Amino acid sequence: MRIVIGQGSCGIAAGAEKVRKALLAANVNPADVSITGCIGMCYLEPIVDIYDDDNNLTRLVKVSENDAAAIASFVESGDVKAVENLVVTDEDSEFLSKQTRIALRNCGVINPEQIDAYTNAGGYSALKKALCELSPEEVIEIIKISGLAGRGGAGFPTWFKWNAARQSAGDEKYLICNADEGDPGAFMDRAVIESDPHNLIEGMLIGAYAIGAKHAVVYVRAEYPLAIKRLKNAIAQAKDKGIIGENIFGTGFSCDFMIKAGAGAFVCGEETALIESLEGHRGMPRLKPPFPAQSGFWRKPSNINNVETFANVAWIINNGGEAFAAMGTEGSKGTKVFAVTGKVKRSGLVEIPMGKTLRDVIFDIGGGMKTDKPFKAVQMGGPSGGCIPSDLIDTVIDYKALGATGAIMGSGGMVVMDESTCMVGMAKFFLDFTAKESCGKCIHCRIGTKRMLEMLERITKGEGKEGDIELLEELCYSIKDGALCGLGQTAPNPVLTTIKYFRDEYEAHIKDKKCPAGECSDLIEYRIIADKCKGCTLCARNCPVNAISGTVKNPHVINTEKCIKCGKCYSSCRFGAIVKE
Amino acid sequence: MDKKTVDLSLLDGVLAEYASVKGSLITILQNTQDIYGYLPREAIELISEKTGIATSEIMGVGTFYTQFRFEPVGKYLIMLCQGTACHVNSSELILQTVKDELGIEDGQTTEDGLFSLKCVACLGCCSLSPVMMINEDTYGSLTPDKTKKILKELREAAQQ
Amino acid sequence: MVNLTINGKAVQAPEGSTILEAARLADIYIPTLCYDEAVEVYGACGLCVVEAQGIPKLLRSCSAKVSEGMVINTESERVVQSRKIAMELLMSAHDGDCVAPCQLNCPAKTDCQGYVGLIANGEYDAAIKLIKNKIPLPASIGRVCPHPCEKACRRQNVEEPINIAQLKAFAADMDLKSDSYLPECKPASGKTVAIIGGGPAGLTAAYYLTIMGHSVTVYDMMDKMGGMLRYGIPQYRLPKEVLDKEIAIIEKAGVKLVNNVKLGRDFTIKSLKEQNDAVIVAVGAWKSSSMRTPGEDLEGVYGGIDFLRAVIQGNAPAIGEKVAICGGGNTAMDACRTAVRLGAKEVYVIYRRTRNEMPADKLEIDEAEEEGVTYKFLTNPLSFNGENGKLKSVTLQLMELGEPDASGRRKPVPIEGKTEEIELDSVILAIGQKLVAEDVAELTLNSRGNIEADPDFFTTEIDGVFAIGDATNRGASIAIEAIGEADRCARAVDAFLNGQALDTRVPYISKRDESTIDYSDREKKERLNPKVLAPEVRNKNFDEVSLGFTEEEAQEEAKRCLECGCREYFKCKLLKVAQRYDIMPERFKGVMPQKYTHDENAFIERNTAKCILCGLCVRSCREVMNLSSIGLLGRGFTTDVSPAFSLPLDQTNCNNCGLCVQLCPTGSLTEKFALEKQVPLNEEYTEEFVDINGKQASVKVSRYNGKVLRVIPNDEISRNSGLTRDELMAKVIK
Repeated sequence: MRIVIGQGSCGIAAGAEKVRKALLAANVNPADVSITGCIGMCYLEPIVDIYDDDNNLTRLVKVSENDAAAIASFVESGDVKAVENLVVTDEDSEFLSKQTRIALRNCGVINPEQIDAYTNAGGYSALKKALCELSPEEVIEIIKISGLAGRGGAGFPTWFKWNAARQSAGDEKYLICNADEGDPGAFMDRAVIESDPHNLIEGMLIGAYAIGAKHAVVYVRAEYPLAIKRLKNAIAQAKDKGIIGENIFGTGFSCDFMIKAGAGAFVCGEETALIESLEGHRGMPRLKPPFPAQSGFWRKPSNINNVETFANVAWIINNGGEAFAAMGTEGSKGTKVFAVTGKVKRSGLVEIPMGKTLRDVIFDIGGGMKTDKPFKAVQMGGPSGGCIPSDLIDTVIDYKALGATGAIMGSGGMVVMDESTCMVGMAKFFLDFTAKESCGKCIHCRIGTKRMLEMLERITKGEGKEGDIELLEELCYSIKDGALCGLGQTAPNPVLTTIKYFRDEYEAHIKDKKCPAGECSDLIEYRIIADKCKGCTLCARNCPVNAISGTVKNPHVINTEKCIKCGKCYSSCRFGAIVKE
Repeated sequence: MDKKTVDLSLLDGVLAEYASVKGSLITILQNTQDIYGYLPREAIELISEKTGIATSEIMGVGTFYTQFRFEPVGKYLIMLCQGTACHVNSSELILQTVKDELGIEDGQTTEDGLFSLKCVACLGCCSLSPVMMINEDTYGSLTPDKTKKILKELREAAQQ
Repeated sequence: MVNLTINGKAVQAPEGSTILEAARLADIYIPTLCYDEAVEVYGACGLCVVEAQGIPKLLRSCSAKVSEGMVINTESERVVQSRKIAMELLMSAHDGDCVAPCQLNCPAKTDCQGYVGLIANGEYDAAIKLIKNKIPLPASIGRVCPHPCEKACRRQNVEEPINIAQLKAFAADMDLKSDSYLPECKPASGKTVAIIGGGPAGLTAAYYLTIMGHSVTVYDMMDKMGGMLRYGIPQYRLPKEVLDKEIAIIEKAGVKLVNNVKLGRDFTIKSLKEQNDAVIVAVGAWKSSSMRTPGEDLEGVYGGIDFLRAVIQGNAPAIGEKVAICGGGNTAMDACRTAVRLGAKEVYVIYRRTRNEMPADKLEIDEAEEEGVTYKFLTNPLSFNGENGKLKSVTLQLMELGEPDASGRRKPVPIEGKTEEIELDSVILAIGQKLVAEDVAELTLNSRGNIEADPDFFTTEIDGVFAIGDATNRGASIAIEAIGEADRCARAVDAFLNGQALDTRVPYISKRDESTIDYSDREKKERLNPKVLAPEVRNKNFDEVSLGFTEEEAQEEAKRCLECGCREYFKCKLLKVAQRYDIMPERFKGVMPQKYTHDENAFIERNTAKCILCGLCVRSCREVMNLSSIGLLGRGFTTDVSPAFSLPLDQTNCNNCGLCVQLCPTGSLTEKFALEKQVPLNEEYTEEFVDINGKQASVKVSRYNGKVLRVIPNDEISRNSGLTRDELMAKVIK
């Protein structure tokens, strides 16, 4: 029996390491215990996979350290009864079985800290094939055939960038991986690095070979310590095996590898800002032209791709561009990984072929809403994206089709919202984010996002006035047109899409001073329904301003004059006796 | 850490490794912060001297990135995730709970020097939202009660 | 060479040029705020955007290169909208006053801060020139003006406003003492203008039109020029000798003055129009208003301005010993104080509200009381009672203050059944004045009984006939209103005479939000008033009450000025760009990114509240000077320009080269003037060369009224010379 514990960041946060220690303390054979990365069923963490000697899998979910003895007994006896209540349900298993995993193919399967685990799974064969059998031009051709496009958000054809960098004069070139996954709500890059770092390294080396770069750099967010640790470890192992360094596989191709940790700036996901940051400067975007392919890191030709893009490369080289292109739609090929979160029942990483619909992801795989409220919208593309409303749930996952909604494919963050989410509040949330993350260089973004935020704050406080929506729109279009970089140019999208699909909600805030979702505290009132109140006094005891009065076993009353609308009574009431209106 | 006693010799190794490697300023600052818990002015002046980068530029970089601090932080640095999934799952309630429990605002440290609170960008544990990190540990699926309990346990741990 | 088209014009530019460079070669203006040849392109301001045919995105012309056949539009609708929003956003976060509130509140827009500052520096000559740009009768106006400027003066938030009006009188008196300033006139245009009425409005319009080169004649019905300044203001407030001198200067400037001719009797508007290219009607308001109180027709009841005029003309009526004046304005004060001087024993001022609501100048109210006037506040005449057609007494209705009215003042309401009777020999009704309608029978009057004139162009229903002052629109007001109108009317008439369009748009300027201004660090310093004659002396004669400022007093008072207006106003690039577009930054009103701060070393002053983050200072300090004395701190909206650790500039390696100041497009970084009191002045810049260690070095020299104000290094040698500004200035002045 092998015991494999999922140890991505999510798993660890959910207690996977405690479980591992508890298992060891429960006298299972340490040699049988190993780890893997993120399985992707984040909502079921911690997850313990147990393989019998015939490699049959028993997957235990939501394991706690208290289950260690039961698991030990199962391992000992092989009697599944001991852990019956932990075994994953068939329904939950579908979360994985309905996916098509290419970028995530090894995630949650192999041990990310051992290079042998990767090579045993066929790793580095694509690199060997590329270096030994293919010319750089042929590699680019295969990528071209595959139709692989940038998975960071913009969806620019990868082969085109590689070709441009290859064509650029100069023999010192850089291949850079953008692992500054800053979109709130997206974590697939973290999962790939934590769970399958060699796959990234292999994809990058193939890319470096294709463009003629001798230096590969990974720019990782500082907020991902585990990813950095595992990537460092992987690089060291690859160096030991001669996969990184001079004369790789004896082909004469050399490439070194470097990790640079970001320091907390979303704008560094923009490629020229990323380069500034790599050089040790403030991450303020440069003017384009010149583009990085001509003048990038240290003013040398540089090519920048996203983690997920590289994670597909080795598979494509091994399986051929056609195999990849066989999946997807006319304009969007292959698969895409989504981080599905929010009010969805099954949250986690979902990789599916392009061409599926949002419904497939959110309802079929994600299981629909986890609350009793109906699905309202899905936010895609983070601060650069938009909210897609429920009536567009059958939108096909395709760069063009998603773009037509006003949202974008983005890096794959999919935040699902139910009726309790205020869409003006959502726009405000994103503008707060972009205003904080604006580098401050150009006027449109620096001041424009701040002013939009202020307007949205006024609206959610009930201080909006006639004409605010139009003014917001005017400002949005102007910022899109005038901002220097992608961050600013796309910052208005959350506002524009919410106005487009939820204009009535804006109007309710402005004209009626009401928040239909009941989220904007300045526009709601809490009230106790006397019939439902049992007089338990819990709400009164939780109220920080003593606004609730009443005696034991008698209905309580909220003094709305005193109430600061913190919502503590609402969340503490066990009888649903408190309503907000 | 007492700001007055900044032992600059602790920087020797970092500076020896990176001072002459171009483009290393952020790395140097990250290492410096690992050593002192923040970026002391004396350290910045020394880094400027050794790298030839003007102090105004070092401060420019240091204040650009949210990772860097210029004041010592408490024993427990609470990093509260402000990501979208956390927002949708009412992270605002958790923030309010932490503020109420500790009596501090974002960016402040409790008087006893035990807790510092910092709202941070998405920590990437969206499935466990709302989430916070305290030092190296991640706490997910928070509720106000669970948050209170965590803070209480840490306070007790510190007092032992 | 590359061929392209910009705004329909064929342009050639060298290969590799940017669109901006190409446009500049072709003399096509593209606004920029963050661009300068001295440093690398940055692309922050986004004002240089242009639209290129076939390219979906707007291009930043500072970085986009030209290509063969390119078709560029630098002023398309989309480009203008983008720039407009950029400027609105920028100005919404630019915390500064272009112009001081005193100047803005002056109806004539006199540069109060300018002349106050010049007086503080002892530059009286320059001060009077500045004043006379807006007021041709400053010695008179300085004495009589109710000074709206002082009402706006921010010094009152510290203790009391600057004594602006008296400072103006001081500067004007200094000018009258010797060779008075005479403006230079433009060459004769050959056009003639007739002005009816020689009051402040008529004389002002005449003065400025004469300077503009037109031949101007003023016709007036009275013996002498001056209008209400002469016949409505008592001698003790404005000695007629002062007015005479000022009118003499106007005459000397070339204005022809004709007295004792009356509209309707000696000529008509039409007859004047036939003989002249333009006519300005500035006849004033010469009729006292009625109170519609029973008994106004009794003997012993006088109109305020009629009374004052009679006294001035030497025909003082026999007002007796007990006199009451109705009204609370400055005419009431003039009348009561004149009555005192005529020997009345009991002088009452009847006013239906209280002292706090009186529109008259506070000083006048106090001085009248000192002279023995009794105020009857909260009273209103019910009837004037007589015997045999002669006034005997007044019955007063007692009042109390009720709810505030539309003007915000609490409305007086009668107290039922409470009255008071005062015995009187005469009563003077000083409650207002009106146009004598019969005089302007050729023009139709508005519902208020005044001439209707266009508020911007001052035109009337008759082509080529303009109207200004007390006779128009809303009726009688203060002299400085009339002067302001006259100045603007002169420009309108000049445009009319030259067949040009007149731009009447008020150009945008930046104003601070008063509620955000902090005065806590200002040291209190008492307001100075000129010495006055003792009450017991002055109430017996008509000698001028005020003795005027001494030089020392004037300078000390002027130094109290808080310097609200921006020193870089006249050369602010930001403002010039802002004024190019029809902007409304208040649409985006929100918090300011930086606090109003003040940091200075010997030459340079920094105020990041005005900073627009173009980065030119930081970049030039690094790229050109290799000093990096200042840098960017923080990010986003609150990014700040500052030395490291927010140190003062003094504690950095700054060598005062001044390059940052030179490149700063606004007043965030400024270089001080070689003046004790700093004051915004429209300097003139020249490039000059000085010898530094045997090498020829370029400097920029700014002068105002002949005086060197700043010397700014202008090349590598002067920037790195190590010389202080004083040493550099010495080289220029030598």
